[in-house]
Amino acid sequence: MKIFLMICWRNLWRHKRRSLVVISSVALGIFAMLISLGILNGVMTQMVDNTISTSLGHISLQKKGFRDNMRLEYSFMPDETVKKALGGEKIRIRAFAPRVKVQGMIRSSEASRSVLVVGVDPERERRVSRISHYTVKEGGSSYLTSPGSSEILISRSMAEKLDLVPGDRLVLMIQDRRGQIVGSGMIVKGIFQSPVDMMDRFVVFVGLERLQEITGLQGKISEINAVLYNREDVPKVKSHLLAVMGDSSLTVLSWMDMAPFLVSSIRIVDVMMYVSFAIIFITIIFSIANTLIMAIMERFHEIGVMKSIGTKPSWIFFMILFEALNLGVLGLAAGIAAGLFGTALMNVTGLDLSFGSESLRVIGSGSVIYPAVKGLDILMAGLIVLVTTVAAALLPARKAARINPLNALTYI
Amino acid sequence: MNIIEIQGLTKDYVNNGFSVPAVRGINVQVGAGEFTAIAVPSGSGKTTLLNIIGGLDRPTAGLVRVGGSDLSGMDARQLSDLRLRKIGFIFQAYNLIPVLSAVENVEYVLLLQGVSRVERRRRSEAILREVGLEKEINRLPREMSGGQQQRVAVARAIVSEPDIVLADEPTANLDQKTGESLLDLMHGLNRSKGITFLFSTHDPMVMERADRLINLKDGRILSDEVRGKKRAGTKTAKQAKTTKASRGKTAGRR
Repeated sequence: MKIFLMICWRNLWRHKRRSLVVISSVALGIFAMLISLGILNGVMTQMVDNTISTSLGHISLQKKGFRDNMRLEYSFMPDETVKKALGGEKIRIRAFAPRVKVQGMIRSSEASRSVLVVGVDPERERRVSRISHYTVKEGGSSYLTSPGSSEILISRSMAEKLDLVPGDRLVLMIQDRRGQIVGSGMIVKGIFQSPVDMMDRFVVFVGLERLQEITGLQGKISEINAVLYNREDVPKVKSHLLAVMGDSSLTVLSWMDMAPFLVSSIRIVDVMMYVSFAIIFITIIFSIANTLIMAIMERFHEIGVMKSIGTKPSWIFFMILFEALNLGVLGLAAGIAAGLFGTALMNVTGLDLSFGSESLRVIGSGSVIYPAVKGLDILMAGLIVLVTTVAAALLPARKAARINPLNALTYI
Repeated sequence: MNIIEIQGLTKDYVNNGFSVPAVRGINVQVGAGEFTAIAVPSGSGKTTLLNIIGGLDRPTAGLVRVGGSDLSGMDARQLSDLRLRKIGFIFQAYNLIPVLSAVENVEYVLLLQGVSRVERRRRSEAILREVGLEKEINRLPREMSGGQQQRVAVARAIVSEPDIVLADEPTANLDQKTGESLLDLMHGLNRSKGITFLFSTHDPMVMERADRLINLKDGRILSDEVRGKKRAGTKTAKQAKTTKASRGKTAGRR
């Protein structure tokens, strides 16, 4: 077998330049695939992370129906079973915090905006979201100080549109639990800028207790948001909480339940990427097949000799297949090495796509992307190369296996 | 015992709708251990005859038996197996595998036969020593002279100890001295190992050294001359078997 493999290997280098061109084309395809997937993974990961860290959390515990209809009647008072259930998952849950969410409007002397008012406990919120991190720490802007104060955090874009700066006063108008429109004066405590455009356009943060007071919720909350140590544990934690909670009017939603568009857009982009890779690799199939056919034509006589001295057609078939696999595997190895090196290099500083920052903010990924190649991508690359090379080699190998030794011996 | 039996062998080729006879009703028997040359002018059917005996081509009519097996009833796979186990080929143009060294070329046949790696290497090196190439075993064909390459081809043909070696003009591409030396080598192997050699040639030197000379012209046998003195050296089937058996014992002792 060693000799057989040696023949395949040495045949590869009979036309170094030709083989190198094919290997390079495979390597380039794999490199392009890994870099694109890496960037895409980075965009998707950051998009999900940012959405989770700014608004959704990994898991939300809320009243059934609240997600579809964000009204105050869906607020609840967490009972002991809820607290126990969350406490029982300490190994997997990093932190959790209560929130009150209500639709409202803010008005300055210049303009008014429709907003989603989120009441948070500033200290507990620090552990479940990055809103304090996104709060500007200059020009008098700072994060909320207490849950009961009349402070409000608004985004930079909203501040510009309403012509507000930290320290300014605005009016928050919301409907309380009895359906009455109530207004409350709030002081702009801080300005934030998150990587998620939707968040900046519509969300403002106030103290939890202050919002409960304005709305008359009397200690009730809209949801409890939890973040886990590991995102992969979401299904386990969700099903555990559902099983142990005593209040049947409550439900547990994962970030995927709360942002189905995010999941479906990831799937769509994945499919589109693989379709474009398929197109690239179809061209590579022809490149490999062409090289192999040329090699077979050049070695027509030699293959005839091999068959005349007793080499079985199946050996010839597998010899050509192995030659193709050698080309593919070398290209794959070079492509993976280049792809991993490229992504590692881009990861040092991140890939700055600030020229398209507005569109990246729309999808919520931020403008500096940190590409990430997953093990599955490398596995897919290997599988694609394997399928590509075998597909490319099948016809030439069959042709070689069927060479009539007599015709080949008289072929010049 | 006859290694090769040919009865009423006819081979026609169709060219532009016309049937062109290459071999016309040949009857030949070649005994075990013979050193036989088929002497022919070019285009007289010698290669066709050798190809049919080697199972590379099929006759239009007639019977061909090699080592007792009737080739007409064999499919491509069986013919391939017959070539692997019973026939050694020596070609005019050497036809070594260019990417393999001398010893690997010789080993290749044993690899196809499923011989173990250690045994393959031992037998290949021994046969290359026998043909005088002990210093060239690791050289690639392109690094060897024509004579050396043809010696490797001889070693490849005999390493598996086939019943018969078919040699198609083996000296045609060699100078006289190298050709003579190669013939001496093959004759020596014929005598020492009892391997049957069947040549096609139009080289007078080969014709002179053959124990038996079959003259072929226009696809027919003109004469079949057994050289009395040399014919005496030809082994009977029994003698050839004895030689092979003793060779096997020697190999076993090594």
